[in-house]
Amino acid sequence: MLTQRRVFILPTQRGLAFVLLILLLVLIGFVYNNNLAYLLGFLLASIFFVTILHSFKALAGLAIQPARQHAVFAGQAGPFNFQISNPGSQPRFALDLALQSELSISLAAEQTQTVTLYQPTRQRGWQLPGTLTLSSTYPLGLFRAWAPLRFDSPLLVYPKPASKLLPFPDSDGGQDKPGQNRRSGDEFDGVRVYQRGDAIRQIHWKAFAKGQGVHSKHYSGASASELLLDYQQAPGHHTEERLSQLCRWLVDAEQAGLRYGLVLPGLRLPPDNGAAHYRHCLQALALF
Amino acid sequence: MPFLPSTRLMLFMLGSIGLITLPHAWHIPPILFSFFTLLLLWRLLSIWQPRYLPNRLGVFLLMLLGIGLLYSQQHSVFGRDAGTSLFVVALGLKLLEIHGRRDVYVIVYLAFIVAVTQFLYEESILMALYILLVCGVLLATLITQNSQAPQTLAALKISAAIILQSLPLALVLFVLFPRLEAPHWSWLDDDTHAKSGLSNTLEPGSIAELSLSPELVFRVKFTGDLPPPAQRYWRGPVYANTDGVSWRAPPVLGREKNPDQPVFTGTTYDYTLMMEPQKQNWVFALEMPSQFEGLRRNGLYQLITNKNPGDRAEYRLSSSPAYNTGGISKSERRESLQLPGKASEKIVELVKQLQGRPASPELFIANLLQYFRQENFHYTLSPEAMPDKPIETFLFERRAGFCSHYATAFVYLLRVAEIPARVVGGYQGGQINQVGGFLEIRQADAHAWAEAWLEGRGWVRFDPTAAIAPERIERGVNVDLQIASGAVNFSPVQLDAKTLSWLQRGRQLWQSVDYNWQRWVINYDTVNQKAFLQSLGIDSFVKLGYWLVISVAGIGGVVAWRLLRPNRRRQDPALRLYRQFCAKLGKAGLSVDIGDGPQTVAERAKKLRPDLAEAIERITALYIRLRYQADSEAGDLQVLKRLVARFRV
Repeated sequence: MLTQRRVFILPTQRGLAFVLLILLLVLIGFVYNNNLAYLLGFLLASIFFVTILHSFKALAGLAIQPARQHAVFAGQAGPFNFQISNPGSQPRFALDLALQSELSISLAAEQTQTVTLYQPTRQRGWQLPGTLTLSSTYPLGLFRAWAPLRFDSPLLVYPKPASKLLPFPDSDGGQDKPGQNRRSGDEFDGVRVYQRGDAIRQIHWKAFAKGQGVHSKHYSGASASELLLDYQQAPGHHTEERLSQLCRWLVDAEQAGLRYGLVLPGLRLPPDNGAAHYRHCLQALALF
Repeated sequence: MPFLPSTRLMLFMLGSIGLITLPHAWHIPPILFSFFTLLLLWRLLSIWQPRYLPNRLGVFLLMLLGIGLLYSQQHSVFGRDAGTSLFVVALGLKLLEIHGRRDVYVIVYLAFIVAVTQFLYEESILMALYILLVCGVLLATLITQNSQAPQTLAALKISAAIILQSLPLALVLFVLFPRLEAPHWSWLDDDTHAKSGLSNTLEPGSIAELSLSPELVFRVKFTGDLPPPAQRYWRGPVYANTDGVSWRAPPVLGREKNPDQPVFTGTTYDYTLMMEPQKQNWVFALEMPSQFEGLRRNGLYQLITNKNPGDRAEYRLSSSPAYNTGGISKSERRESLQLPGKASEKIVELVKQLQGRPASPELFIANLLQYFRQENFHYTLSPEAMPDKPIETFLFERRAGFCSHYATAFVYLLRVAEIPARVVGGYQGGQINQVGGFLEIRQADAHAWAEAWLEGRGWVRFDPTAAIAPERIERGVNVDLQIASGAVNFSPVQLDAKTLSWLQRGRQLWQSVDYNWQRWVINYDTVNQKAFLQSLGIDSFVKLGYWLVISVAGIGGVVAWRLLRPNRRRQDPALRLYRQFCAKLGKAGLSVDIGDGPQTVAERAKKLRPDLAEAIERITALYIRLRYQADSEAGDLQVLKRLVARFRV
């Protein structure tokens, strides 16, 4: 809820020009001994004063709270959602919201609206929104009332997926039995052109050797294969590169509809699939 | 991003600018006003046809044209007329160049300046109201610019609210802001626009028809009783020099001083006199003024002001109808007996017949007035012109005329009888405004009478017109009636009396409003402000400062309170009670979001406090019924109130 302690008001350039206008009118009144010129000058001066109150009223009482945030990958514009509501019986006009992106909205009486503002993301992990500035020059543009707002509602930023296309690792990491990890019921289904996300072990090497291009073998069943994405197996010179690669694999695996697990030093997520698991894994990467 | 003003914004702006400039059609040269109108219409059409807007070169050429027109019409940028033309043309040119929000502000601010220039031409209450309304539309322009949402009517409403909230403060500033007398800058002067009124010469023979102008000359408000109608003579110029046809006011400079100061006896009338703008610097005091502030009395007992007669001004005066001016100087006696050559035999004969020379002046004057009364003399406002020997023609042939004819003939005859006499011009009578309780004196009340110097009594007023048409003096001129019937008539018969009375009452009411407007608003100058502030006990700048701060803070506080107090009355009482309930749940540790529906809240609350489930359910059910269902029962609100009050977490 915005109260006077959090709303700041200063005249705009146009407001300062308005003061000059008032002075000019009073000067005309003085030079010509004209009381109506004085009166108009004083009326504008009073309007100037009353507008301060209106400027405050434009923001007073509005309630802003962070709404649910949706995680993004580093490098994407980070969307921050806020719920802004007008509990009063007066409509609010031309409210400007600015984070890194800007937005202008109007609110009817007792209306609540969710707005999304963007801020660039660079690093994985939790990211707090910068200062959200809610401002308005309503009604006359002579003053700008603004409220800088800081919210403690972090946005989760996943690592940036590596752009290099690398086949999935051919091992399930910590398990003793290396190589293929096919379930007994799965049967060979056929060969198709290699797609992103196909595991290294699925590649039809014989066909590749014959110069027929890269193909991969596929097996029928709900989940054709299980992957275990291991930090140790991810290529890269440092942590971020590895996490970036793991992220790429996770994205591809989820897209390919595979079952996948994630192994990080000190954390092991058993193979699974689905949106929840996917988010779980990405979060583990983001907060590693 | 190019700035595209919305159609509504443009219509608001162009509309208000058109209205604000409209009265200047009568003030600035027609060609300049036409130029402005052309630019305005051009911009208006371009709202729908933007491709017709001139490009940069076009605007530049138009600007050159505007400067050329200004130069050809005004030759200057200073002064009222030139300055007004300059601002109007600048405003018109700026309209064609709107590239950003800043330009909208430049235009609106220019329009405010043009609005103020209207007051330099006219200060009537109607003009003030008109400009106030148009300023409201200008503000609505700014409101439209600063908010995407409001509709036309909403923007106007908000601007009206802002103006109403600002008015009290503006009035306090108006009253308390110190008025300093500005020095008179002659380069700001324009030619005084011709105003009608009395002049330095009187030539009754050349006038075939006396116009009955209802134009106001001055207004008088008495602090006590009003003098009786027969004593309401408002002294103006004195015509002492004559060539037989015209009568002139003698030069005032270098006059020999009168040997005595006038002595006043009897009743004194105190009054304030408000002069309308005049050509001459004469102030028409009730005969004979005894006290006068800020005025000078010349050797002919006429009051003269040092202020610019083109401005409306107010004076505080006292007059006594009973006076004795004492002796007469030699040069004045000579001046008051001056005749153009020898009088004709007929006139000398008439003077003899009326016992001129040997008898006392009083007897001769009484006989002369008797002569006017008994012979076949008439009063008329449309006498035939008498260019040749007007006095004789009038006395012996026509015998019909108005006040100037009688006054000049009277003075002429007295001078032939060697009694010092002169013609006095001014106004007689005036109409009482019943509403405001003041006298209105109009051009139609213009009058001429005579005064004669008598031993031991000084200058004594005689009005020969009163001998012919006593009604003229007793009742005064009924201007409304004269204008309605087109002729002079001292008894109201022609027009339906009822209609006339309504007409008169309406005019009086309006005049009364106007008088107070002129007196308290337009004429609130250094002197008036000082008097008014002293009546409030403000006698120093320090005190004035305190008053200013206190009243601005007080009014600001009231406006702020009215504006910013939470609008509780319009809130649904059920909602208010429900919010109390939610606040109580909040204390119990349940966070209630604004978006949560009452059912959701109830479910979560019951989970949190199963022991209160029943109360929570009842409150929620009642609230839903009250707020969302039409068929809630009358007692529901009371029950809800009780339940919420009793609800303890």
